Amino acid sequence: MSEKIDALYGYVQERCLWQFASRVWDRKANIEGTIALGTALLLGETPTVTTPAERCYLVDAKVMVSDFRSRFPWLRDCSPEEIKALMAELQAKLTDIAITKSQNHELTHELY
Amino acid sequence: MPMILLKCDKDIPEREKHIYLKAPDEDTREYLPLSNAATIPGTLSERGCAFCGAKLVIGGVLKDTIQMIHGPIGCAYDTWHTKRYPSDNGHFQMKYVWSTDMKESHIVFGGDKRLEKSMHEAFDEMPNIKRMIVYTTCPTALIGDDVKAVAKRVMEKRPDVDVFTVECPGFSGVSQSKGHHVLNIGWVNEKVGGVEPKITKQYTMNFIGDYNIQGDTQLLQTYWDRLGIQVIGHFTGNANYDDLRGMHRAQLNVVNCARSAGYIANELKKQYGIPRLDIDSWGFNYMAEGIRKICGFFGIEDRGEALIADEYAKWKSKLDWYKERLAGTRMAIWTGGPRLWHWTKSVEDDLGVKVVAMSSKFGHEEDFEKVIARGQEGTYYIDDGNELEFFEIIELVKPDVIFTGPRVGELVKKLHIPYVNGHAYHNGPYMGFEGFVNLARDMYNAVSNPLRRLAGVDIRQSPAAATKGAA
Repeated sequence: MSEKIDALYGYVQERCLWQFASRVWDRKANIEGTIALGTALLLGETPTVTTPAERCYLVDAKVMVSDFRSRFPWLRDCSPEEIKALMAELQAKLTDIAITKSQNHELTHELY
Repeated sequence: MPMILLKCDKDIPEREKHIYLKAPDEDTREYLPLSNAATIPGTLSERGCAFCGAKLVIGGVLKDTIQMIHGPIGCAYDTWHTKRYPSDNGHFQMKYVWSTDMKESHIVFGGDKRLEKSMHEAFDEMPNIKRMIVYTTCPTALIGDDVKAVAKRVMEKRPDVDVFTVECPGFSGVSQSKGHHVLNIGWVNEKVGGVEPKITKQYTMNFIGDYNIQGDTQLLQTYWDRLGIQVIGHFTGNANYDDLRGMHRAQLNVVNCARSAGYIANELKKQYGIPRLDIDSWGFNYMAEGIRKICGFFGIEDRGEALIADEYAKWKSKLDWYKERLAGTRMAIWTGGPRLWHWTKSVEDDLGVKVVAMSSKFGHEEDFEKVIARGQEGTYYIDDGNELEFFEIIELVKPDVIFTGPRVGELVKKLHIPYVNGHAYHNGPYMGFEGFVNLARDMYNAVSNPLRRLAGVDIRQSPAAATKGAA
């Protein structure tokens, strides 16, 4: 489990700009929105999006999931529960590095 | 590995907070270079000033706009012709330079009248040009010239002109970055929404943070045309002033340079509800990913895949030719900020190049979070690097090629290390598929050029031996 999470986390850290938005609130929105839709896609669902922001999360999630599937073939053997657990842990790790323990002093700036 | 204090910095130990050497199992929770902080007195910084960030980087790119620089002539001259951003308007913005040419007496008695006179003169000399940006500089800001009041008077006398003022003197921030911020926020608050753009296509977007360096914008525009996407505001490559007043009508903001223009994307999201999609426009893999995301947003995935297939068919074999020859090349990137994180993985994945040191002039901590996440272990990450640090880092990492500006580039050439212009390019464009082949070609030409070896040989001793093997 730990190695699998590290693999997913390593990919996102290296490839995905959406985790590095300007403020705590928009990092949180991006991480939660993209991981939620990514989880749905990995579970074989067809998520419905209604707002422009959700459409952005979805395209980011689609690219991420496509790369996950090509780079980490072991995902095919994961049960839905395991996928949910992996993605929840991924979200927690991203939140930790990009928000909770980030040393970026601008994340809580009052403007924007 | 903790932060690094280089030998050359023994007398300015504060520099240790700005230089990081990435080690295994470390991340940005533990170490993040201090950045967007005042340059430490005593270092030979490579930074530019805040005014430069507003004028040279963003405002000066506009192809139909007079850039009136209210200050000494040097502020105008030094931000003219030092960056190559052409346009399809006869390169108007590169041909001319405007200044109020402030002298000592104007500083003593005030420069408002001189500014007003200069603005009228410029409009009279160029009767077809109806748009202007006025910039304050250090002296005119210090004496308190009210440029907004002057601009208002000029617009009252000339109802057909529009003037935008940027009050961002050089001293107002620690680097160019302050100028980016001031111009972004001023523009979105004062000018966006002032013009209703003509919508010609079903899908519309703003492309933000690309300045048409050697034709980047014009190359990418061929993609958007083929995809059927209308770019309402191209911030600011090859753009007209009024294009950018209509940015509020786009369905999507696509952001390339998040440092110089992330602010306006954020504000457009907050004020107008337009979502922000960040992409990388340099590199094959990244460009394809960006196109997939944009097309996915509009539901035109098939068009995107067709375009990517066409471009790969045309350019991939050429890229691979260079990759075969560049694999293992050690590269340093010493540029402004975002190109560190845009390039480090793209040159690694697409060209097999290893980035061994990166220095940012004006990046913020957000940029270092991105680049340390993407960059390799054993690589140096430097904020606001100075000349002596560059020499020491070169000794430590032995780069084969350095992507940087001409000022530092000429310095490293004297060490017989080739440089490629990382700001304005050698022979661009560098964005997009074709552009990345251009980048690869320039890197290949730089590292393969026999002159760099010959230049290091003292021909006074043995001319024949010196030239042997160079052909």
